[in-house]
Amino acid sequence: MLNRLIELCMDHPKPALWFIFILTIGFGTQFLKIKIDTDPENMLSANQPDRVLYNQIKKDFGINDLVVVGVTDHQGIFRTEPLIRISKLIDGILKIDGVITDDVVSLTTTNNVKSKGGLLEVRRILKEIPENDIDGILMRRAIADNPLLSEKVASADGRGIAIYVPIASKDQAARIGSEIKILAKDVLSKEQNFYLAGLPIAEDQFGVEMFKQMAIMSPASGMMIFLLLWYMFRKVTLILPVMAVSMITVVWGMGLLIGMGHTVHIMSSMIPVFLMPIAVLDSVHILSDFYDRYPGIGDRRETLRQTVKELYTPMLFTSITSSVGFASLMLAPIPPVQVFGAYVAIGIIIAWILTLTFVPASIMLINEEKLQEKFSHLDTKNTGLTKALQSFGQFVYDKAIPVSVSAAIILVLGFWGVATAVINDNPVNWFAKDHDIRVADEVMNEKFGGTYMAYVVLEGTADDDIKRPEVMQYMEDLQRAIEKDPSVGKTSSIADIVSQVNYVIHDSELSQRKLPKTREEIAQYIFLYQMSGDVGDLDNFVDYGYRNANIWVQMKQGDNLIMARVKDRIDKFVRENPLPIGVTFKWSGLTYINKVWQDLMVDGMMKAILGGFLVVLILMSALFRSVGLGIISMLPLTFAIVMSYGLASYFGKDYDMPIAVCSSLALGLSIDFAIHFMQRCRACLEKHEGDFEKATFIMFGETARAIVRNAVVIAIGFLPMVTSHLGPYNTVGMFFASLMLFSSLTTLGLLPGLLKLSRGRLWDIKIQLKNT
Amino acid sequence: MKFNVKIIKGLIAGLFVSVSVLSEVNAAAPDARTIVNNSLNLFYSAANDMSVNVKMRLINSQGKERQREMTLLRKDVNDAGDQHYYIFFHAPSDVKSTTFMVWKHAQKDDDRWIYIPAIKLVRRIAADDKRSSFVGSDFTYEDVSGRNINDETHKLLRSVKYAQRPVYVVESTLKRPTDYVKRVSWIDQETWVPLREEYFDVRNQKVRIFTADKIKKINNHYTVTERTMKNLQTGHQTKAVFENVKYDVGLEDNLFNERYLRNPPRKWIQ
Repeated sequence: MLNRLIELCMDHPKPALWFIFILTIGFGTQFLKIKIDTDPENMLSANQPDRVLYNQIKKDFGINDLVVVGVTDHQGIFRTEPLIRISKLIDGILKIDGVITDDVVSLTTTNNVKSKGGLLEVRRILKEIPENDIDGILMRRAIADNPLLSEKVASADGRGIAIYVPIASKDQAARIGSEIKILAKDVLSKEQNFYLAGLPIAEDQFGVEMFKQMAIMSPASGMMIFLLLWYMFRKVTLILPVMAVSMITVVWGMGLLIGMGHTVHIMSSMIPVFLMPIAVLDSVHILSDFYDRYPGIGDRRETLRQTVKELYTPMLFTSITSSVGFASLMLAPIPPVQVFGAYVAIGIIIAWILTLTFVPASIMLINEEKLQEKFSHLDTKNTGLTKALQSFGQFVYDKAIPVSVSAAIILVLGFWGVATAVINDNPVNWFAKDHDIRVADEVMNEKFGGTYMAYVVLEGTADDDIKRPEVMQYMEDLQRAIEKDPSVGKTSSIADIVSQVNYVIHDSELSQRKLPKTREEIAQYIFLYQMSGDVGDLDNFVDYGYRNANIWVQMKQGDNLIMARVKDRIDKFVRENPLPIGVTFKWSGLTYINKVWQDLMVDGMMKAILGGFLVVLILMSALFRSVGLGIISMLPLTFAIVMSYGLASYFGKDYDMPIAVCSSLALGLSIDFAIHFMQRCRACLEKHEGDFEKATFIMFGETARAIVRNAVVIAIGFLPMVTSHLGPYNTVGMFFASLMLFSSLTTLGLLPGLLKLSRGRLWDIKIQLKNT
Repeated sequence: MKFNVKIIKGLIAGLFVSVSVLSEVNAAAPDARTIVNNSLNLFYSAANDMSVNVKMRLINSQGKERQREMTLLRKDVNDAGDQHYYIFFHAPSDVKSTTFMVWKHAQKDDDRWIYIPAIKLVRRIAADDKRSSFVGSDFTYEDVSGRNINDETHKLLRSVKYAQRPVYVVESTLKRPTDYVKRVSWIDQETWVPLREEYFDVRNQKVRIFTADKIKKINNHYTVTERTMKNLQTGHQTKAVFENVKYDVGLEDNLFNERYLRNPPRKWIQ
């Protein structure tokens, strides 16, 4: 059926191109409906238990996502001039839309309670700008004396202050952040450094930059691919269809995704980057084969017919295996990954159909005389590349055993690298080291309690359970245990409030900084706090019925590994120190949520990739009607994955979300070369009566050239991504190169020797020979 | 016939605009300051003293509630606006017998004392912030004990009907902005009861709404016996019910004294 379609396109190239063009416009208009979603939380489905709990906790404790603003001055903050500027900055922040002004924590918006001679003084921390150094020192000391404020609103060294800005919704973080930045530039002096931190900023900022990068990187890669193709094929009219196919594929695929009502998430925004090279792969095979045949035939129609005949089966199989590889991602329990897998799989089928229709139709439109004229100057067969490839082919054929042995050793080394891989992620680390967000993250976490939030929620069974003295005491003990972790900067809870009130009410007697022993005392201290403090604070720590309490765990590092370590520490503490009767505990918070979806992602991706691998193996065995050949054909893919991941972990790169996604790329790209090589090698063998050396020699002609061309186009074409200041783009760029290198090298370097050695043992061509 | 509905809506809107424009021309209206002054007097210092049981329901955005029950005694000290308040908390039960006293000064910061029964301790509290929350509710100290007319400048916006009552709509702008910068009040033209107040923050966003939900005439004083303050940013609201309101009961001067914080006057506290 498809053959008739291809014929139809070659018979009526113009209407065919018009038809495709109109369809493309149709898909293109879907882009108007684009809905962007940059929230990593959506990596978890809406009803995932940890996410449901997190949302409930945010509601129960009135917690909003926080933007943390930092100002440092190496001469010290507690001087007249910097404090005037900071108070102006805070006033300005309170005017920004989307800021929950009531809950802003800062020098001028938060109360401190001091006591002296039976008098409790409730005042803003910064009520009046100190006029001299002594007032400044006193203010610094007052903050240090309140555990609820120290290392929170001001750093211990007195050189930095922080402003905690709760925002109405996370997707406003980048906008609010940029408004604060403009304000700070205006208000602060040159001596003062300004920082913006907090996961919401990093995540929202990532979303914003991601789309900017997409707008730069996709065309840059496109341009690079175009130049490389031109260098190889030297005829623009023949290259344009290849470029067009990859672009049309992207438009159709993304148009379909948007049209179906999916949001464009961090994952799905990568679809164009994945589809482009896959679409190019098929077209380059067609083009490469066409170039070799045309000079001998001199008729584009006949050449195309032969090319398509030759390539039809391998292309069908590469497309099916690649799309099965991506479709396997739908097994992962992560909605954006499922959408990603499904639409890349659809895109691959689109690319395949377009390659077989659009490319021949376009070539039919090229003037035959011009084409012949152009080709008379070209000698595609006897180039340096061809000569080099043929001597390489001869070498790997002759030295099959040493090559195989060294390959085996390399593979073992690769596995060793994979085994040492560290599974870890932190959205902040998706930015380059010198990016504002990374710098802010480092400075703020060095000076303050920590910008990464996790919550430990104690749940009682009845109202007022939290006011029980033994529950309060447990909370405090638990906090001390958590704080032993070097990455935990600070913890706060209602127990801290109660013991601080106790301290203050007893004239700041140090021995009184402890929890009271009776329920009444606890309740009355909480009541007193409500009469003097900011109500919102209390709500963050305890729910309305005093049934559940929330311990804030501020961490200085947001790596999932560290979150896991802190969690283990607490699990151990709770095992050794049983919770008070009727009380249970749970983890939550953005840092914890990130860890949860990473666990799901790593596990899900791993299973999906293994599943995909198996399916591809079965397909390959069916294609070659031999399990042995099936296994051999999986080698380039295996090498590509193992070596890429092995090298990544050798260079200290953690296995994170972007890297996990790349594994699917391997399934999609690395099998192609093996299919082309083996399928065409088999056909060649049949043609040349089982003379394997001769077949190898032929394979190192056009087929090897096409493989090398493809590998080069994709490896170099996506190198611009390496310059991006967003980590995931670097990763994908590097992976394209490394996957191409290893899969082409394995295909051309290892397969001929292995096929030679295993012939008659693992597979048998003789049966097929008899058929010829 | 969506088209017609639109026209009708437009006509109705036009009608309202013209009515409100007409009503702005009201020669008989007193000046804004007088209106606010009358209202403040009624709302915060009716009669020489007052005793009342207040029940507050603090309701968060989730609909969950906390209770506050207290007896509140007020006595005016002079005409300048100085007042004494005494508050005894009945509920929540674990804070029962906590007492609280405020000496409100028109010209300087208030003095506050609290008695904590669990440790039998009285502490004086010095606070300069009348705008902070009263016992965790959405009412501020100022909302409970009154504000100074000179803190704001007042402008009469218009006269309209609100809840079937003729009201003055007055805009009061704070001279020194706090959590709000502007307050718009709907003040009953006959009773001076503030039926509604809207507070606007520095971004000109409406952040809090006060409504007088039930009004009774007690001893010739119009009294708001049910009121709500709602925080629009947090979704938190507080509903207060005034029961047993009595005016001119003859509270003694020496009642507002540290001794009575420890030993509540049985005569006034039930």
